[in-house]
Amino acid sequence: MRDPFASSLGCAPRALRVGVCGPVGTGKSSLIALLCRELAADLELAVVTNDIYTDEDARMLRAAGVLDPDRIRAVETGACPHTAIRDDITANLIAAEELEADYEDLDVVMIESGGDNLTATFSPALVDVQIFVLDIAGGGDVARKGGPGIERADLLIVNKTDLAPYVGVDRDQMVTDARAARSGRPVIALSRTDRASIDELTAWVRHQLVHHRDGVLVPQDPGPMAPHSHGDHVHVH
Amino acid sequence: MLLADARLPVAGHTQSGGLEPAVADGLRDVPGYVRTRLTTVTRVDAAAGVVALHHLRQALPLGAVEAAWAARTPSLAMRRTSRAQGKALLRLAVRLWPDAPAVAAVAALDSPSRPAVLASCAAVTGLGPRSLARLVGYDDVQTVASAALKLLPLDPADVACWVHDALPEVEAMAEGVAGLTSPDDIPAAGAPQLEAWAEAHARTTRRLFSA
Ligand SMILES: Nc1nc2c(ncn2[C@@H]2O[C@H](COP(=O)(O)OP(=O)(O)OP(=O)(O)O)[C@@H](O)[C@H]2O)c(=O)[nH]1
Ligand SMILES: [Mg+2]
Repeated sequence: MRDPFASSLGCAPRALRVGVCGPVGTGKSSLIALLCRELAADLELAVVTNDIYTDEDARMLRAAGVLDPDRIRAVETGACPHTAIRDDITANLIAAEELEADYEDLDVVMIESGGDNLTATFSPALVDVQIFVLDIAGGGDVARKGGPGIERADLLIVNKTDLAPYVGVDRDQMVTDARAARSGRPVIALSRTDRASIDELTAWVRHQLVHHRDGVLVPQDPGPMAPHSHGDHVHVH
Repeated sequence: MLLADARLPVAGHTQSGGLEPAVADGLRDVPGYVRTRLTTVTRVDAAAGVVALHHLRQALPLGAVEAAWAARTPSLAMRRTSRAQGKALLRLAVRLWPDAPAVAAVAALDSPSRPAVLASCAAVTGLGPRSLARLVGYDDVQTVASAALKLLPLDPADVACWVHDALPEVEAMAEGVAGLTSPDDIPAAGAPQLEAWAEAHARTTRRLFSA
């Protein structure tokens, strides 16, 4: 008999898989390094990177010294970063499964997508929750541009808020725009220099892990196109 | 359903059929490269697949076939690539045919090669040896061709012509190996330059394709 849930869903004992995507340079690797630093003391972590042309992301994370280098694995995407996280997730799934097999007590596997455009999101068959990262220095209007990641990723990060004064962006307005685009889904205005924002991020991840362990975390699809609701409500964690 | 289809979710987009390191080393004659593969590494793979299919149909153990394939695939990087691709395809085959004995037999191997996994798909779907060999050849040509479009400035229509023009050679290769049944018959057609490129690629830190 075929078991449609055989590979990825409904296996509460395996690690929580967290996807991190967003355009190039918005701070995905930095956010993962930050989470490693913040969470490694009491959680078992591993990372899969999807590099476009080099193993820069994996090397940067290894160099950051936040995790055992063997827990950071790179997959190649054949110049198709979008495909690798959405339509053919095989290489990423195998990397995540191998990490889970090599480190049996893993709590969280973070998967960094190759920096792509605003339309790239993860398949819910690859990750349990996904974080979409925007750079405040990329422009205050980006949150209004919308797209599946901005509107419907499980968490939207407006990153590098410390840069707002230097690039003439109104941080609070950008966060307000982002919230308006997301029908109540969470937004965190993050900066690595802002302790409170870091605590907010780690609390969110820990909360997802609790949901995952309780078996109540159902991966949501930001979808490629128009917004959709599941039944009668929009699911918010 | 097409097993040699880029739309099959088996991470085909991560593969260039060894073209990326070849191009990095200055190769520009892609049709010639494709022909070289068809008479060397791809022929070995096709023959291994055909012999594996025979063993699966006769319910014979596959260990000797895998060993013969490995002995004729001297590059560790190439063996690793084939096993990684085998793993991806096996993942799909297990989902498609969870109860098929041929799939179970290959799944029981330690890191089966891609030809062995393809043979199990052929066994389940009733694909004959010649069709299987043709599939291995055609898939290899298409893998190189679609990677070429990413690696070199080309007109996609020209590349489609290359694929078309390689088909008789695919057919000849398939015909040549279709009758094989014994692991000893698998040709030992090494290609040292392809192997050297594969090894170099496995060590570089700049690459678009996994192999
Ligand atoms: N000022 C400031 N800079 C940051 C912050 N977070 C990341 N950066 C910087 O932003 C740049 C890009 O960060 P990365 O983490 O490499 O971004 P990325 O999204 O992983 O980039 P790609 O993988 O290339 O798409 C680096 O120079 C970081 O140091 C932040 O909170 N504040
Ligand atoms: Mg990065």
